[in-house]
Parts: sequence; C-alpha cells; structure tokens
Amino acid sequence: MSTPILEVSSLNLSFTTYGRRAQVLHDVSLSVSKGERVALIGQSGSGKTVTMRAIIGTLPMPPANIESGSISFEGRDLLNLTKPERNRIKGTGISIVLQDPLLSFNPVLTIGRQMDDILRYAEIRLGQRQSASQRKALILKTLNKVQLPQGVQIFDAYPMMLSGGMRQRVLIAMALLNKPRLLIADEPGTALDVTTQKEILNLLNKLVKDEELSLLLITHDLGVVREISDRVYVMERGHIVEANTNEEIFSNPVHPYTQKLMACVPALYGERVREVKNDQPGRPKIQVAAITKDFTQRSGFFKRTWSSVRAVNSVNLEIESGDVFGIAGESGSGKTTLAKMLLGLHLPSSGQIKIDGRPINDFSDAKEFRKLIQIVYQNPGSSLNPKRTVTQQLAVPLTFTNHSKASIMTRTAELLEMVDLPPSYASMYPHELSGGQKQRVAIARALSVNPKILVLDEPTSALDVLIQNTVIDLLLKLRQELDLTYVFISHDLSLMRNFCNRVAIMFRGEICEQGLTRDVFANPKHAYTRALLSSIPVISEREERLKPKITTAERQAVLASSTALT
Amino acid sequence: MMPVVTPEISTQHNTERLMTSNQMAWFRFTRNPSAVIGAVMVLSVVLAAIFAPILSPSPQSAGSFVDFAHRHHAPSIDFWFGTDNVGRDIFSRVIYGYRVSLSLVVGVLGVAVPFGVVLGLMAGYFAGRTEFVIMRFTDVMLAIPPLAMALAITAVLSPSLINAMIAITMLWWTWHTRLIYRIVKAQMSEDYIEAAKVAGASHAHIMFKELLPNCVSAISVKISLDAGFVILFGATLSFLGLGVHPPTPDLGTMVSTGSEYLPEFWWEAMMPGLAILYAILGFNLLGDGLRDMMDVEV
Repeated sequence: MSTPILEVSSLNLSFTTYGRRAQVLHDVSLSVSKGERVALIGQSGSGKTVTMRAIIGTLPMPPANIESGSISFEGRDLLNLTKPERNRIKGTGISIVLQDPLLSFNPVLTIGRQMDDILRYAEIRLGQRQSASQRKALILKTLNKVQLPQGVQIFDAYPMMLSGGMRQRVLIAMALLNKPRLLIADEPGTALDVTTQKEILNLLNKLVKDEELSLLLITHDLGVVREISDRVYVMERGHIVEANTNEEIFSNPVHPYTQKLMACVPALYGERVREVKNDQPGRPKIQVAAITKDFTQRSGFFKRTWSSVRAVNSVNLEIESGDVFGIAGESGSGKTTLAKMLLGLHLPSSGQIKIDGRPINDFSDAKEFRKLIQIVYQNPGSSLNPKRTVTQQLAVPLTFTNHSKASIMTRTAELLEMVDLPPSYASMYPHELSGGQKQRVAIARALSVNPKILVLDEPTSALDVLIQNTVIDLLLKLRQELDLTYVFISHDLSLMRNFCNRVAIMFRGEICEQGLTRDVFANPKHAYTRALLSSIPVISEREERLKPKITTAERQAVLASSTALT
Repeated sequence: MMPVVTPEISTQHNTERLMTSNQMAWFRFTRNPSAVIGAVMVLSVVLAAIFAPILSPSPQSAGSFVDFAHRHHAPSIDFWFGTDNVGRDIFSRVIYGYRVSLSLVVGVLGVAVPFGVVLGLMAGYFAGRTEFVIMRFTDVMLAIPPLAMALAITAVLSPSLINAMIAITMLWWTWHTRLIYRIVKAQMSEDYIEAAKVAGASHAHIMFKELLPNCVSAISVKISLDAGFVILFGATLSFLGLGVHPPTPDLGTMVSTGSEYLPEFWWEAMMPGLAILYAILGFNLLGDGLRDMMDVEV
C-alpha cells in the first residue's frame, strides 16, 4: 500500500451555537492513497459534509471548532498552515466538484469567464502568469477531457444555455483546471436524471484512471458508491462505524448501521423485491383518454406572438381501483403536469379525464371532488405552512367540507393516530418536526376527508433512505386499511419496483411503455425504458447482471433525444 | 487496509430538548446590544407618555400656563431641560409631547397598516387585473411628495392633529402594500398554497389564515421602523405650522418656537430636538434588532 495522500486522524470537531456546544465529529480517521477512490457514506446529518469542509478548510470558525486531531495532505499538516499557504492548496492540491450543477454557476457570466477566473486567481496565488490565450487553450483542453468536444461554443455560452449534464461536466472540468492531486466529489450527479448520472460516474472513473487522481466521494447513494469506489467509510452521527473495501462492504456488511443502510435500498431485481398486488382488479377508477396539455405563453413586443410547449401529448391511462399506479419519468417529462390535471388544477387542452366513470368537469360540486382525490407533495417543508400548527393544517380540508368544530377535533386526533404520530404533536409547528414526521402530517392532511384516490408526487424524494422506507410502509398499510388507490409519481424506479403494481414510463410528454411492474422491469420494450433501467445504480452484483444491457451508443442516442442543447 | 468496525454507538439521541425557534430568536435578540438598548429607549418613551401626569415635575406646563418669573431659565436642578419663553418647564412639555407623538403613531399606523396589508395580500394573491390596478394605484400614490400632500390637505381642511394624521395616513399605507405584495408573491409558489386550494379552502382563508401569518414578522419589524419616521414626519409638519397647534405640547412646535430664541436660549429648541432624536433612535434600533431576530428583510 502506498503512502496516503490525505490522512485525517482522530478528528474531533464541535459546533457552538446559541451558547450550546455540540460535538459533530468523534475521532474521525480516514485516509486516501494515491490513485485510490474512497467513498464516505452516511445519512444526512451524519457529519460527512462537515468532514469534507474541514478538509478543504471552508468551515466557519467559530461556530465550528477543531478540538483535536490532524488533517495532513501529502505529509503537510493542513491545520497548522497559515491562511495563504492553505489557500494555495485549494484547487491545485485538493479540488472539489460541487453537488448542484444548477446553483454553482453565476448566471450572468459566460462559462469561459468563470473558468478563466479560477485559473487566473490560482496563478496569482502561486505567483505565476500565463497569457490569456494560453489560459484559453488550457480551458479548451480541459473541456475536451470531460468529453465536451464543442469547447469553443461552451466557452462562450452562459450557464442557462447548457443542459444539467453538461453543466456537471463543466463543474468537473473546473475542478481539474489546476491539476489537483485529490478530487473531492460531493454527491456527484444526484441532482441529475439517472441516465445522465450514469454518464457522469463513468466519466469520473475514467478521469481518476487517466489523470492518476485520488478521489474522495461524499454521498448517501449506495448504488453510486458501488460503482465508483475502491474503499468505503460508513459514517453514523459523527463516528466512522465501518471501513472496508468495496467488495467486502457490499457482500458482507458487519456493522448494524451498514446493514440497515443496505436493507433500506429498494432492490431492482432479485428476491429482495417486494411484489405489490392489487387484490380486486377490474374496476376502473381513473380513465384518461387522449389527453394533451399545451402551455402557451405570450411573448414578444406587445405580447403579440404566442409560443407554446406541449407538456403532455395524447396520453391514455386506465387506473383501476386498488392500484398503486406508478408514473415514472425524468424531470420535464410531463409527469407532474399529468398529476395536476388529474386533480383538476390544470385543464387539459384536449382529451378527457373520467374519475369513477364521471368526466372531471362534471363535478359541479367542488366539495364532492375534493373528497374523491387528494395529493401529497414532494417536499413537506414547502407543502406545510410554516406558521400554522399541525392541528390547524389538518383542519383546513375538514373546515371546508362542512365539519363541525367538535368533529374536526376528534377527526384530527384520529388522523394523527392513523399516521403513527403521538397526539402531543397536534400543537406543534412544522419546524419542530423531522422530515419524515412532516411528511406524515402531509399524508394525514390528504386523508382527512376520506378520499378514495391519493396522488403521491415524489413523496419520499426529500427524505433519507431510512425514513423513506417507513413512509412507504405507512402508505402500504393505509392502502390496506382505507381501500385507497394511489397514483405514484416518481423518478426513482427502484422504489417504484417495490411499491407499484402497475407502471407507466413517460418520456417527453408521452407514455412510452406501460404495464404490470413485474413485466415492464423483467422485459422492457422501449429503448428509453431500457436505458433508464440499465442506468440505475444497484448495490449487488446479482442485480447488476439482471439489469437490461445496453451499449454506450444506445444510451447516447437516448440522451441526445432527451436533453437537447438549447 | 484493515477493516475497521466499531461497536454499535449508543442510540441515545440528543436527550436535552433542543431550543424552540422562539428561544433562539430571544437568544439572538438579547445578544444584540443595540436591540436591547433600543427596546429600553422605546419602553422609556412609552412609559413616559402613559405616566406623564405623574412623572412631569410641573404638569401645568403642558397647558397654557404662564410663569414670567421663570422665563428663559437655563437647564438646572429645578428645570432639567430649562424653561421656555413663557416660563414653562420644557422637560414636562417633552413628556407630554411624547403623548402627542405616540397618539399620532397609533392613529396613523392603526389605519395605514391594516389597509396597506389587505391591499398587498389581495394584489399578491389574486394577480392579474386586481394586481395591476392595486399596484399601479400604489405607484401613483408613491409618486406624490408627502409634504406637498400634507400642505394640500391642511390647506383644504385646517391644520390640526387629526388632519396631520389623515395626511400622513393617506401616503403611508403604500409601503406596507409593497412589502406584503412582495412577500405574498414569493409565498404563492410554495406548495402549501396549492395544498390549501386542493383542500377546498376559500380565498379569505388562504389570504388571512395561510398567507398573513407568514407576513407577521415582516409587518412587526416594519411597524417598529415606521414609528420613528411617523414621529419625525409629524414633528416636521408641526414645525412648519401644519400640525398641532399651541398650547398643546408638541415636539415639532416646540423646536419651531424655540428656534426663534437661538442661539442665546439654545435649550429651547435643542432639548425637544434631542427628545425627537431619542425616540426615533430607539424605534430604529428596536426595529433593526427585531429584523435580526426574526430574520426577515424589510
């Protein structure tokens, strides 16, 4: 084993806020050798991002305080360096690929300008000077390295002109500009669609090999970890609880926390898959016939011209009573627009939606319609009013369906029990609850008027995997108890495999494939479905083998048609 | 590389209860010296105004009392702020003057804030034509110079405290409309608004039960900052002879009459002037403190 390029030993770190001290890192030790890919995994709040920021030196101190331990990079103790010395390592020694390709750019400067700034300031810090044309040549060369051959156009482009995947590549190129020895990647590609994410992971793997980089990967996604690391550290509440090689961790996890993490990842194939069945099929609940939605916008001088975008294109669906019907697709595929039309929030441009055999615009009584179909939103932080208590929020749908004061009180208590929350939570405000608890309140609110159909718009994507499972279990339990029909909107196909009995895959506003979940996953017909399934990171070799195989060329073809350069 | 496995870490969670957001806000407030000083200053002004008859050494000075034996006395143990041209105690008049100033604040903000807030809620919530009409009307009102408006009103009616109040109120609501409009616009994209619509909630419910609670902290900061400016504007009007008339003790009028005796009897203009400064400074420090505490932008 070669000498480590980065070594963190017994790092203890605490935060002091509001006069209270909380220790967030307990004796954290980790090392990265030259050319090695190391992953640091854990739930949100486990301390992995704090560890990363301590390494690159961007933690605000105070409130943070390093109490003991050391961080050494290429034999130098980073904690004892002066500020200018430390800054000189940034970008040139250690570089970072940021998580969010949408927020990490300044929208009013060209990509070239932003990359040039990075080079220029690094040169100033190091006391060297290059001419502008030399810098540009280097930038174009680096863009080429991250597989962006059309470098000249990208150099002059503004961030909004690039797709998410391209922006992520540019972020990687930025990190590589100053030829770092260690690359830190914070949740690379998680903000992107799976097919694009797959490409980014392949790129990172290739770069590490070609450029002889060391990689420290910070993520919560075990599938990603399996594809892109040699060694893994598992972190739980500020402790490194397990460290081992990639193969060992995945084939034989020892620590209970690691085992728990593994068990929570929904399986795509194999015996861990949970089959969800509809016991009494055959009664159509929602019928969607040739529905189309165009969004038109007046633009131009004096708003005389109209531009129009087709979000949903002649979609036909039939959802039966008792179904858990999954609608999958990447961002911008029209799945949320479709859901909002089911709820009557958007009117279709053409086509018809029938619920219980009645056309949706036949419900002259809004109250009757609200009692039939309700929605649970993606982010409970946004869907619950931060300034109103749990009871007040649960009471809203009841107040507007003619319930008396007394019956509202008993019903809210009933609802809290239904979603397994203690009655004492009734008077709490959303910020006093955790993410999972908030989502339970949101589910309770949707159920308050006894609807028959629930639209679930990515109800778990804002939650941690461990919490995600408890919410999914709750939803399955409620479905049994209350005889509900679910329309489940998501981009997470592994979750869908374990939660839905039927699925439809949406691609650019159209449904490209639908059927029983089992059949679609076992035998995907459409090229897009195949590309999607093959791109999902999985956590076992067995699942990897069962995934449909597609060639890089095929995936490129799908990517080219789904993300166009505007 | 040796595999590392630590024993399972104890699952005892943070047993000590975390601070509630109110406690955190109070922590921020009390750790902010200028906010605490501002709060003390505002409190002293309010208490002085309420207990004026008890606190003032010479309550009769508040009226048309004349004591030529003691006219133009410099500040001393007996007359802390000195006496004016007819021998009235300026300290007593300042305390009574705060009564006038604060009633102006209550009168103006009591009408302007609810009016402005409701218009802002409507403009932000309904959008479209309602938004256009309300916001363009607000823009028009903002374009009128406040002093010109006050002059016009007092020219038509007569100069008095009530008319000064009307003049200030007619322009003051615009700022609240714009503030609330901006907040509501930002909140409209939150899912909880759509969730309330899906739940079948009425317009009134969404505006006053869902949106308004999210505006409260911004409104309270704005009110605190406003109070100082209303006092200043009222004093300006009285100084110009458009507001309160003698012998009612008003800080602006006192500065105005006192300025006739400058520089010889400097305290007659200076002391009421400092009293105005004290009140405004207090309200502004308090407002800034509240802004930091509640973490809102105004």
